Amino acid sequence: MDVTPIDIASRLDDEHLPVFEAIPPLFGDWSDIPALRASLDGLLGAMPQPELPEGVTIEDRFAPGPGGDPDVMVRLYRPASLPDSAPAFYWIHGGGMVLGDVAGSDVYCGRVADEMNVLVASVEYRLAPEHPFPAPLEDCYAGLKWLWESREELGIDPSRVAVGGGSAGGGLAAGVALAARDRGEVPLCFQLLVYPMLDDRNITRSSHAITDARTWNREANLAGWDAYLAGNAGGDDVSPYAAPARATDLSGLPSAYINVGDLDLFVDEDVAYARALADAGVPVELHVYPGAYHGSSGSTPNASLSQRWNADERDALRRALVG
Amino acid sequence: MDVAPIDIASRLDDEHRPVFEGMPRPQRDWSDIPGTRARMAEMRASLPQPVLPANVAIEDRMVPGPAGDPDVRLRLYRPEGLPQPAGAFYWIHGGGMVMGNVEMSDPYCANIADKLNVLVASVEYRLAPEDPFPAPLEDCYAGLKWLWRSREEFGLDAGRIAVGGGSAGGGLAAGVALAARDRGEIELCYQLLVYPMLDDRNATRSSHAVQDSRTWNREANDAGWNAYLAGNAGGEDVSPYAAPARATDLAGLPPAYINVGDLDLFVDEDVAYARALADAGVPVELHVYPGAYHGSNGAVPTSVLSRRWAADELASLGRALAG
Repeated sequence: MDVTPIDIASRLDDEHLPVFEAIPPLFGDWSDIPALRASLDGLLGAMPQPELPEGVTIEDRFAPGPGGDPDVMVRLYRPASLPDSAPAFYWIHGGGMVLGDVAGSDVYCGRVADEMNVLVASVEYRLAPEHPFPAPLEDCYAGLKWLWESREELGIDPSRVAVGGGSAGGGLAAGVALAARDRGEVPLCFQLLVYPMLDDRNITRSSHAITDARTWNREANLAGWDAYLAGNAGGDDVSPYAAPARATDLSGLPSAYINVGDLDLFVDEDVAYARALADAGVPVELHVYPGAYHGSSGSTPNASLSQRWNADERDALRRALVG
Repeated sequence: MDVAPIDIASRLDDEHRPVFEGMPRPQRDWSDIPGTRARMAEMRASLPQPVLPANVAIEDRMVPGPAGDPDVRLRLYRPEGLPQPAGAFYWIHGGGMVMGNVEMSDPYCANIADKLNVLVASVEYRLAPEDPFPAPLEDCYAGLKWLWRSREEFGLDAGRIAVGGGSAGGGLAAGVALAARDRGEIELCYQLLVYPMLDDRNATRSSHAVQDSRTWNREANDAGWNAYLAGNAGGEDVSPYAAPARATDLAGLPPAYINVGDLDLFVDEDVAYARALADAGVPVELHVYPGAYHGSNGAVPTSVLSRRWAADELASLGRALAG
C-alpha cells in the first residue's frame, strides 16, 4: 500500500507537541526484545511515579493456570468501602504482547477502584516471544475465570463483570470476550477497548501511515504480532482469539466502548471493529479523538485533550459498571 | 447488497423504545412531497411550542441570494451582552433536502446563542424538488458569505466562524465548507456535522439496513437524493458540493465534529467521511453512539443518551468557538 507517513508532530496541539518532540525513539532493536524490556524498565523507573489513591488495598492472588500451565497472578485493587455485591473490572495491561506488567497499571487500576467503588483485577499474563499465542490469551482467560468462580468469596455482582484493556491489552480483552462467549463460562456485561491491537495483518491505511518511532509504529506492530504469533502474523490460519479483527461472528458479545486517536496506528482497525460489532447487533460506542496518538493520553495526562479522553473513558466504564 | 434490515426497536433502551413504538408508520408519502411537508407542519404545530430563552433576540434578515436568484432569509439569534469580538455559528436545518425550515431550529439555535454567547445565524434555503441542486447549496453559501461580509457590523471574530447542520443540513454544511475552501472567500474554523447526509449513492451497508419508516430510511433517502439531484442520485457526475462523500480532496477543510447513532442510515457514510477527513490531515472528532437512531436526540430529548449526545455536541462547539 502506497501511503504517505503521517507527520504526527505537525498534528499535535501545543500541550502535546513539546512532550512528543522530547520522546526518544522508544523502540530501537526489535531483534532483542528482552533488552528492549530492560531499557524501557529503566526509562519508566526514572519517571516520577504517581501515588496510588489512599484507601485502596492491593492483594496479589493466584489463579490456576490454563491446562497445566503455571498459576497466573491476579492483582486485586479493593477500595475501603467496597459494597457487598460489587461490580468488578478485569483489566489487561498493554505492551504489544511483548512488554509490560501489572505494576505499570497500578495507578490506573487503583483510581478506577477508588473513583467507582468497584473491585478491579489486573492480570500478569505471560509475554511473547517466550510465550506466544495462546499462552497470553489463556492466562488472561484463566484469571478471568478464577475471578468469576471466586465471585462469592470476593463479593462480586455476577451481572456486572466487565473486561478491559489498552493496546495489546485491548486486543486481549476483545479476545477474552470472544472466548468467554464461546465457552459459555463467564458472562460479561461490557468490554472497554482502549486503542486495541486487533489485527495481525497490518494492511490498513493507518498501519502503513504511522512510522514514527516515538510512538507505537509499523515496525513495532509487525514485531509484536510476529512475536505473539510465532512468525505467523498475516498468515492464513490465525485464530480470532489472537486477532479479533479476524472474527467472522461477533454476535452475542458484550457491549463495547472503543476510544482511539486519529494519529494511532490502530485507528482503522479499531473503527472497523466498532462497525463490525454494531453490524452484529452489539451496542458499541466509538470515540475517535483528533490529535491523539497511541498512548498520548498517558504520556500527556494533564493536557485538556487527555483529561477529556480519560473522563469520557471513565464515564463509559461507570455507566457500564454502576449505571 | 444483501443486508438484513436492522430491527431498531430491539436495540433501543427503555427511554427510547416506547417513543419509537408510538410513532406513526408510515409517516411520509414520497410521491407527494408538498403534501408530506404540510402534514409535517401540521404535526409540528400541534406540539407544544417551545419557550425560547428570553435573553436571545431573534431577527430575520433578507440577504442577497446567489447570482440572479431571490434573496435568502437568515434568522439571527443574538444573546444579550454578545461579547466583542464574538464567535458566530451558521446553522443549516435538516429535512432530507425537501422539508424543514428555520423555525424548527429555533430552540436549538437560541440555546446555542444563550449557552455559548455567540451569534447564531440560521438559513432558509430553497428546497428540492422545486429547487434542486445547486439552489439549496448556493442559498446556504450566499447566506454564509453575507455573514462573513457583515462581520464588522456584528463584531465577529474572523477566526471564530463555524458552520454546522443536522442530517441534510449536515450534508449542506459539509458542502458549504468545501465551497468556502475552494472559492477562498470565507474562512471557517470548524464544521459541526450532526448525522450528516453525505452520499447520494446509497451503497453502504447501513443505507440498506435501515428500512423502518419510523425513522429516516432507505426509501426516504432515495427520494430525498433524487429530489435534490433531479433524478440523478447515484449518477456518474454528481458534484462533491452536492454529495461531499464524492469529494476526492478533503485537505485544508476546517476541523470537524461528527456525531451519529449506530442505528442511523448515515452511520457508514459518516464514519467513512470522518476517516477520509482525517486521512487528509483534517482534525476530526467522531462519536458514534449505540442505541441512537436518526433524530432520536430530538425525538426523546430528555433521555440520558440524548442529554449526553447534546452535551457532547455543545461542548465540542463551545471548544471550537471559545475565544
